[in-house]
Amino acid sequence: MSDFPHHSLLAWAVSLGRFALVFIPLMTIVVMIFLERKGASLIQDRLGPNRSAIPIFGGLRLFGFVHNFTDGIKLFTKETFIPSYAHKFWYAIAPGIGFLVAMLTPSVIPWFAPLAWTAGGEIERVSGTLIDSDTGILLMFALSSLSVYGTVMASWASNSKYALLGGMRATAMMISYEVSMGLSLMGIFLITGSFNLQHIVAWQETHVWGIVVQPVAFVVFLVSMIAETGRAPFDVAEGESEIVAGYHLEYSAMRFGLYYMGEYAHIMIASIIIATLFLGGYSIPFVSTDCLRAHVNVALFLVLAGAALALIAFQIKLRHWKSIYPSFNATDTKARLTEYSFLQVTTGLATLGVIGLAAVALIALHPSVLSTVDGVGYFAPWVTLATAGVQVAVLIAKAFLFCWIWIWVRWTLPRFRYDQIMSLGWKILLNVALVNLVVTALIAKLIVGGR
Amino acid sequence: MTKIVQRRKATLLDRSYLWEIMKGMGITMRHLVKNFRNPEKMQLMSYPEIEVKVPQDYRGSHRLMKRPDGEVRCVACYMCSTACPARCITIEADNSADPRIEKKPQKFEIDWLLCVFCGLCVEACPVDAIRMDSREVSLSFGSRKEFVADMQRLTAWKPEDFPANDSQSQRAPGGTENQQARKIWGLEVKSV
Repeated sequence: MSDFPHHSLLAWAVSLGRFALVFIPLMTIVVMIFLERKGASLIQDRLGPNRSAIPIFGGLRLFGFVHNFTDGIKLFTKETFIPSYAHKFWYAIAPGIGFLVAMLTPSVIPWFAPLAWTAGGEIERVSGTLIDSDTGILLMFALSSLSVYGTVMASWASNSKYALLGGMRATAMMISYEVSMGLSLMGIFLITGSFNLQHIVAWQETHVWGIVVQPVAFVVFLVSMIAETGRAPFDVAEGESEIVAGYHLEYSAMRFGLYYMGEYAHIMIASIIIATLFLGGYSIPFVSTDCLRAHVNVALFLVLAGAALALIAFQIKLRHWKSIYPSFNATDTKARLTEYSFLQVTTGLATLGVIGLAAVALIALHPSVLSTVDGVGYFAPWVTLATAGVQVAVLIAKAFLFCWIWIWVRWTLPRFRYDQIMSLGWKILLNVALVNLVVTALIAKLIVGGR
Repeated sequence: MTKIVQRRKATLLDRSYLWEIMKGMGITMRHLVKNFRNPEKMQLMSYPEIEVKVPQDYRGSHRLMKRPDGEVRCVACYMCSTACPARCITIEADNSADPRIEKKPQKFEIDWLLCVFCGLCVEACPVDAIRMDSREVSLSFGSRKEFVADMQRLTAWKPEDFPANDSQSQRAPGGTENQQARKIWGLEVKSV
């Protein structure tokens, strides 16, 4: 009747279900803020925030994890103050733009290898990205560059000199680092021969990771990305010692919270992009997607076993805390020990559950080729879906590696001076990226003989 | 004599900046691992839960000294309130029942919200009646009124919390210690 291909209900459900992946960067904000606070405190020889508590079992502090939620409650219930001299409309919508970008950018990221299964004798395919476009990475750049509009709009609409200075700095930095960022990736595009992120990841899956073939580009891109997110040592846009708080100076309550959370969402997205471009994305080294599908029960077992190991490591830490806490002679010793016991019991049960699930996954699940069409074997839908789940987990694990680098760099390096940032961007990174591109082109021409 | 420090010229490795950044990140990571493994060895105290040990000579909040007969040692001379740069001491004088002493304070109030804890009142006191060695450093109350300490609060300290044998004894000359009183004040002390 029409050219529109017939799809099974499952294909529709999976296609729509991919939209949930867009929320992954937003959901990781909570973990990121916790990681940032604890990482910062341990680097600076502090304990970090740990006082907010859920009033059960002697005050459930969860080692400071509750602080995220109290922060959220505070930001939501505070008064949204609008200065009388601000441009009301632009002031109100500016914080949304950065957050909107944080919601849009994940749509071009390949979260898992393209799914394919047979239904009613026909092959059904579902792409691993929401927008499976050949402009892929360019679209991503276009979207992520939009976030600076939120910054500039906020700084202009605030009608405050400090905010305007911060906005101008953010713009200048954006322009400087976008150039070297784009150019550093040209080598990758040259080698993989595609702008499509799916293709780039597929190339890395069958050849080697991007970091091996383009180590210089990796460093340039990482530095440019840190500058792009406006984090230390490139956080002149909100340099407290010079311009108070920069572009979000006049913002309060949840409008400020949107900037604060948008920053972490931005970091997570940048980390996912770096992992996709240079660390093989969702792929596992030496294991192709087909191989992964054929042994998905082992893969699930390994992922769950990793989770169980993490839980056991947490319990060891808990035991340590429980043994040392009485020696502090603190007044809340009893409450803390109650809390630690509670956590021991719950994490112990969770560990048992995860181990049980891992055992079930290893023993009970048997992936096998369900049908063969034109000599290509297709697995059952649940096998491809489980593989996709494993791949999403792998991608997020890789991304968290970079998230930690963001935090680590922030609490190690002091802030660059503004002119130093400009000279680093224009005089060093840009030239390094250009030379890298020329050298890559030459080598590619000599070895591969042109494409 | 001037010592000339020869500055090492930055090598290419130094100027590339990356190696130095990695060294710095190594230092921060060492701190993180050390503190994560042994949080009890961090040089810190979880404040309200763990009591802060303040040294004996720390300049904390005030206390008023007493004579053996229980009277306040203060002679209401206004030296401390005159010396006070924050004007936080309010004294109202009254006739003393002790024939050796002209006045005694009827009201002695210190507003800790005004006080700058400079210790000039302690320096100014001729009879060593006011001290700031109470080791009380966390002054936190529910209302402004509670920050104004009256005589009763300033004298409500326990003798066993303070060393009895320091050179400026907390026990004033008097009572059975006439010998000492004569040496210090040159006066005979009326037995109570």
